[in-house]
Order: sequence, then C-alpha cells, then structure tokens
Amino acid sequence: MKGNAIDLRGVSAAYGSGRGQRRVLEAIDLEVGRGEMVGLLGANGSGKTTLLGVMAGTIRPTAGRVELFGRPMQAWSRKEVARSVAVLPQSLELPAGFRVSEVVAMGRTPHAASWFGWEAADHRAVADALRDADAESLADRPVSELSGGERQRVLVALALAQEPSVLLLDEPTTHLDVAHAAWLLTSVSRLRQARGITVVMVLHDLVLASMWTPRVVILHAGGIVADGAPDDALRPEVVQRAYGVSVETVVTEEGRRVVVPHVPAGTGVGRGP
Amino acid sequence: MAPRRPIVPLSVALLFLVTACARPADATPAASAAPTASSTASDPAPSTAASATTFPVTVTDDLGRELVLTAEPSRIVSLAPSNTEIVCALDACDRLVGVTDYDDYPPEVADVDDVVIAASVDVELVVATEPDLVLAAGNELTPTSVIEQLDALGLPVLVLYPETLDAVYANIELMGAALGRAPAAADLVAGMEARVGEVVAVVEGAERPLTLYEVFHSEGTTYTAGEGSFLAALLELAGAAPLTGDAQGAIGPEDLVAADPELILLGTASYDPSLADPQAALEAVGRRAGWAELRAVQAGAVVPYLEDIVTTRPGPRIVDGLEALARAIHPDRFR
Amino acid sequence: MGSRRLPARSTRIGSAEPMSATTAARRVAFGPSLGRSAVVIGIGVGMLLAVAVASMLAGTSRIGVGDAVGIVVHRVTGFGPVTWSPAAETIVWELRLPRVVAGMVVGAGLATAGAVFQALLRNPLADPYLIGPAAGASLGAVIALLLPVATVGLLGIGLVQVLAFAGGLLAVIVVLAIARGHAGTPVVTLLLAGYAISSLLSAGVALLIFNSGERLGAVISWLLGSLAGASWPRVGFAAPLIVITFSLLLLRWRSLNALLLGESQAAHVGIDVEREKRILVGLAALSTSAGVAISGTIGFVGLVVPHLVRLAIGPDHRLLLPASMLFGAGLLGLADLGARLAGGIPVGVVTALIGAPFFLWLLRRSVVGTRSSR
Repeated sequence: MKGNAIDLRGVSAAYGSGRGQRRVLEAIDLEVGRGEMVGLLGANGSGKTTLLGVMAGTIRPTAGRVELFGRPMQAWSRKEVARSVAVLPQSLELPAGFRVSEVVAMGRTPHAASWFGWEAADHRAVADALRDADAESLADRPVSELSGGERQRVLVALALAQEPSVLLLDEPTTHLDVAHAAWLLTSVSRLRQARGITVVMVLHDLVLASMWTPRVVILHAGGIVADGAPDDALRPEVVQRAYGVSVETVVTEEGRRVVVPHVPAGTGVGRGP
Repeated sequence: MAPRRPIVPLSVALLFLVTACARPADATPAASAAPTASSTASDPAPSTAASATTFPVTVTDDLGRELVLTAEPSRIVSLAPSNTEIVCALDACDRLVGVTDYDDYPPEVADVDDVVIAASVDVELVVATEPDLVLAAGNELTPTSVIEQLDALGLPVLVLYPETLDAVYANIELMGAALGRAPAAADLVAGMEARVGEVVAVVEGAERPLTLYEVFHSEGTTYTAGEGSFLAALLELAGAAPLTGDAQGAIGPEDLVAADPELILLGTASYDPSLADPQAALEAVGRRAGWAELRAVQAGAVVPYLEDIVTTRPGPRIVDGLEALARAIHPDRFR
Repeated sequence: MGSRRLPARSTRIGSAEPMSATTAARRVAFGPSLGRSAVVIGIGVGMLLAVAVASMLAGTSRIGVGDAVGIVVHRVTGFGPVTWSPAAETIVWELRLPRVVAGMVVGAGLATAGAVFQALLRNPLADPYLIGPAAGASLGAVIALLLPVATVGLLGIGLVQVLAFAGGLLAVIVVLAIARGHAGTPVVTLLLAGYAISSLLSAGVALLIFNSGERLGAVISWLLGSLAGASWPRVGFAAPLIVITFSLLLLRWRSLNALLLGESQAAHVGIDVEREKRILVGLAALSTSAGVAISGTIGFVGLVVPHLVRLAIGPDHRLLLPASMLFGAGLLGLADLGARLAGGIPVGVVTALIGAPFFLWLLRRSVVGTRSSR
C-alpha cells in the first residue's frame, strides 16, 4: 500500500542452495505503516534477524515482493536505502583509532555530496545525532576506550546520523543492563515521536515488548503466528506455541498489561521455604 | 708463453687443422675426408679482409647485431676477461678504459679502472668512462638486461660468445676489424691455428682415454664439459674421449660410476690449493661416495690440473689451455 | 526536525551536566584536523625531496650538486649553460633520475595497495601480495626471461615487464573468480584462494628456475626485486597507472572507512559492499602489478608502510592514503639509496632485511597490546 513504510508480500528467504538449503522465512505477509513501532519476536532461529535483513535490503528474498515506501526494493540503490533506513546492530566492534565523532560521521556516507569533505549539513546531522543519542560528551573520545553502554549510544548516534525514516534494531538491549536498556527504549520512543521515524525492533524479551511496542509480530517456524497489540498478540496460548513457555498477563500499578513467563511450581523466588 | 714454431711442415699441420676445426665434435684427424682447404694463410671460418681497416666499418657480433664504427675506437670497455685478453693481444691494451675485477692478464690491466665488480656491471661507471666501444660477453655472462640498458643509452656494444675454436678465431678477427688491427689479428689467428695443428699432430694415433674434466663438484654432483661444448671439443683435440654431462654439464654419481672414466683431470685444483698435490688429490677424491671404485682412482690417474683459467677462457690463450690439456692427457707424447 | 521533548532526568544515563542550548550548536570536529594533515603531508613531501636529492648525488661516479641540479633543469626546461660532460648528463638523467623516480612510483603504488588491503581485510598486517599479484607477476617475468627471443622493444618496456604485469593481473582475476560465491566474495575465501593460487604459481616458477640454465642469475635478480633496470619508458608505463589508481582509490575514502565497520554495517550505511570490494581489489591489484612489473617483487613495503602510517596518524583513509603513498615513495627511495651505496645489492634484499624485523616488532606490539588491555 502506498502509505506504508514497508510492505512484504509472500516473502520467503533461505540460506545456502541446493540440498543444503535452510529455509528461514515462508511466504511472509507484513505491512508496517509510517511511524509505527513494531516489536518482532520469536524463538531463537525463527527468522527475526533475517526478516530485518530483508527489510533493510541487505538480504534478498528467494520469493515474494519487498516494497519500501511504495517502491520495490530492487529499484532502490544501496545508497538510497541507507538514506532512509538505518540499522542498529546487536553489537559492533568499532574500528580502533577513530574518535566517536568520526565513527558517527560514517553514518553520513549515503548523504555525501562532495568527494573530499563533509558539508555543513553533515556536521549538523552528526551534532544532532550525538545529542539525540545522549553521546555529545563522548564526541572526542577514542572508540577503544568506551564502555558497553557508551558504545551503544555511539551506535545509536551512527544510525541517527543517517537521518533515517526507518530505524531497524536487532536485539538492541541484549548487552545492556536494566538502566541502559530503559534508556535506549525511551530514547527510541522519543525519537520516533520527535522525528516521525518508523521503528521495527527485534526483541527477545517479552516483557520489554509488551511494555514498549504498541504492535507485536511473533514469528514461528518461518511464519507469522501473531500480529497485533501486545494484549492481543501476546495471549498465553500464542506465546506457548511460539516459545514453548507458558505466560501470564500481569497488570502493573499504572494499569499497564505486561506478559511475564510462568515460574514452574516449586522453583523460583518467593515460593516455599 | 711464446708460440712454438710448427715442427711439421705448415701444409700438413694445416691439413689436420682444417679437418679438426671443420668438425670440432669429431676431431679424428682426416679419417675419411680428403683435404678440402687450400693451404693459404686464411682459415675456413668466414672472415673480414685481413688488411688494414678503413673506417667507418660495419661489424657483426656473435648475436648477429651489426655495429657501425665511424672511427677507430680509442676508449674501450671490456666486460669479460677474454675480451680484455683479445684487445691486449692485438696490442691495443692502452686503449682500455674499463675492465672487470677478474681480469688478470696481461698484468698491465691491473692499472685500468674496474667497471665490473664482483660480476656485477656498474652501468654508471661504464658511462662515466665515456667509451666508444663496449665489449660484452654473451650467454648471460653480461646480463641481457645490462646489454639492453647500454643499448638504450646509445653506447656501441659488441657481444662476444665463442662456442668453438673457430668462433674464437672469428672473434679475434672481428676485433681486428673493429680496432683497426686486422693484420695483427690475422697473424694471431694463424699462430693459434698452427699451434693447434701441432698439438693434434703430436697426440695423433694415441689411444683416447675416457676423460672426466672436473669443473666443479658439490653435493655429489660433478660438473664437467657439457655435451657438444667448447671444453668437450678441446678435450677431443687434446686426444681424449671426453665424458660429458647434460646441457649444464652436470653428471650425477650413478652416471659417473656407470661411465667409469679412465682419467680424471681436476680443474678444481686450479682454485683449491688442497688439491694441488697429486697424492692429496687422489685421497680427497677417493673419499667421495662411489669414487673409490672408479678405475681412474684405482690406477691413480687423478691429475690436479692447474691451467683451468686458460682452458676455459675463450681468448687468445685458449691454445695454451689446449696444450696443457694435451700434456696432461698424453704426458708420454711430450718430452 | 520537529519539536524535541527533553527526556525525564531519571532516564538520562551518562551525561554529567544538564543539556544546554549552546552545546547543540557546537560544531563537532571529525576527521584529521587540517593542521595535522598539513604537518604529515609536509613531512612526507620533505622526506621525498630529501631522498630524491640524495639519490641524485649518490653513486659510483662523483657528480656535484651544481652539475646534478643543472642537468635536471637543463633537460626539463632547456635553460642553463652546459658545464658538464655528456657522460655526467647521461648518468644523472638516464640512469639516476629514472631509478629514483621508479623507486618512488613503485613505493607509492605498493604502499597504497597495502593500505587498501588492510582496510578490506580489516587486518593491519595484510599486504597486497596476499591475493596473488606477486606470484602471477613472477611467473610471467620468469617465462619472459627464459624465452629465447630478443626481449627488447615491446613498447620500449621489455617483454619481461609486459608479461609480469599481465601475470599479476591475471592471477588476481583468477583468485577473484574462484572466491566468488553467489552471496558475494567472502574475504576468508579470497585469502585462501589467494594462498592456493600463489602456491601453484610459485611452484611453476620453481620448476622454471630449475630449468633456467644460464638465465638463473637474471631470474633470481628479478625475483629479489631490483630497480637497477629502471628507464624512462618503464617509469612512463608504471607512473600513470599508479597515479591514476591512487586518485581513484582516494576518491573512495568513505567506502574504505565504512568497510572498517564490517561488511554488514558498511552495507547498512549505504556501501554496495560486493561492488566496492571488486573495485577496490581491482584498483589495488592494478597498482601492485604496475609496480611489480618494473621492479620485481619487492617485499614489506606494502605491509609495513601503511601500518606505520596508521599507527602515527590513525585509520581515516582521507589522510592515510596520501600519507601511505608519500611515505611508501620516500621509504623505498631511501631503501634503494641504501642498496646502491651497499654495493648494488637488490633493493628487495634491503626491504626484507629491514622490513622483516619491523614486521616482527609490529606483531609483537599488537600481541602485547591486546594482552595489556585486558
């Protein structure tokens, strides 16, 4: 549909070829509207990262159509895609010898106009990115001296420097502690509202998904088994099927509904002696 | 060493000479061929006119390259000892402005600057001497890249590479033409031919021992005369049946034992003082794996040969080498 | 950019002071500063000039500074009275100057290619010979050296140079073809294919060496790497290739920087990774083959120079490439000067004698460095 940011129709994806081919996605249909925030869930190996790659244009599907802002993905050059879509990887080893600002400047690559230098617009975008990623104080630091949390902020800045309309995040909270994870999700939410960015986030944590993403898509065995608000999509029977764990819905003091896994009887905290 | 006057009449000597030189690979004197050359002073190899040269003159070197010399060269650079010896033998030693550090004959060349040091040609030094003739050596003794470089710099280069006695004579005559010394060249050649004929006559009819001339020995492999090589031809002229190696002259220990030479000439003794004494040489050689059973070793026919330089330097003194070979192979035929 | 809502204080991690409006306007500096770049380039150029002048004056024939300068000026501009002998002019203009220029051109080409490979392979100890140009060029050159034909006169640059150039390029093409899967050209496969092809070609060279006869000296001399045969036609062949490939590579500095993020993230910031890899490898191979064609396989320049330059000024290719080029030119020029003064030994021997210990030192540094950072 024209108004959507991302359209996937009948998309299949596989690794390898011939007999050793591993089929990861089977005939996926998915629409992501502009400005939406979508959480992509599924067990390990369910194809979440592959689906993200298809959306980013870096993985070519074996079947089906992928459209970005109404245009087929094949019609986009790599550079054009990067001007609209930014990817925040799960982790990235930053090349030694650079300062943070220099790495963030690499995000301006798809926008580069002149052969030899960066323009005022690039400097502005990098400054904005650093500020929005709360990394301004890190600008002159060598990347080899950063802590894990600081590195994550730099990666966010790198993505923001591309001035994307779509932000794809691959398990962004995996290496972060509670506080940093909360910061990241808050920042992404805020940026989505401030800049109107469409966000698709691969999450492994059901709790975070139910708290932060207004729409949840669950993948299982290469197909979508649920797609909707957390209340709806994270119904216990769906989660049971997709993850093999039983969950219960909990209402917080603020009145929010959150999905948490069941703790089997006799184990865990607060049960028995 | 002064050239010896022929003992037998000149015509007879030349008779043997003709057949010997015309078929260097088969030096059996006049076995089947009737004498074919007339007894004039010139030899059968193609030659330039044996009269005083008038310049400009065009000469052709051993690579077939033609060089036009507009005037008599007076600043000559020699890149090989054999070339130096030819120049000096033609009484043009004083025109040499550059030689190699291996040049040792005649003694006057020690005063000439070296442009080739440790077998490496210093092109800058060659250019600095401002030569009007450069005498290079073929077969990569002067590397082809150096010859190309000298050509590119516009220097007149003659490349000499004689592979037979005839070719040596031709080189001498070529130099005679190039240096304006044609008569001297003709005389030199005639003298050399005469001496060769004399040697051939002296050893004629003697039984030819299967002879190994050791040029070099290392790690079990012996380097000797290659098949069809200049050295093999000299050995034949000197009355031996040379035991030859492959194209590079290498002969492995098994082939050597199978061939079982009757006589071993140690050319290496020219450079290794420990082999100068016949007894010491025999013992040293006998210790090599498989050599003790060779009939040459058992008969004590291992001769330290000290004239390797002149035997392998294709210049005017090559005939000295031939004479030394003949004396080593057939000592009974010489007083 | 829309309205910005400041996040609640409790969720801001890591920033010590409250945000102020003025910090947003501060211009962030990235990339090497202009001053620093100028200093580095200045040192490079200075070294280059010093080596050039020293090389013009050094040699077995004594030629004074005045004459040397006068000869160059006279040949280039036609000005000046001729106060020197024709021999001196030949020595300076036809022997020394082409050799100096050749050394610089080859050093520049190898160092530039080395910097590119170190970025592509994301390993600062990579060198341009890894994917086969040296082995291919060697085979081409040795074949030419052993052919019983007159070698002069192929466009003035010699059959050896032409076949060496062709061999270097063909080897890389073969390696690229072998390593190409349908998902692109993985770097590891590229390296392994390079190793295999290099080994195969080297075996061919070894076989030819065994049968080289009297040409052995010429073959060994070429394989060791030497600038003794430098001439203006050869310089004229290699210099434009190396200058052009350098310029084209410098224009791709953003790709080279982005590739340091890894191929995946480089793709995400807009680099067409497979296409860039092919282009970069192709240009680097061209640069390497042009250099090897006229000088033989000179080692360590392509590895040590970019590595050292990176240690000194950082990995940003906008400065790394020009600096590597300049210092590669200067250092090989210096090595050749040393080679000439040491009695005319091949320059490849000098670079190996100095480069190998340097390489070991760099290796040791990187090992010790990682240990101490834990």
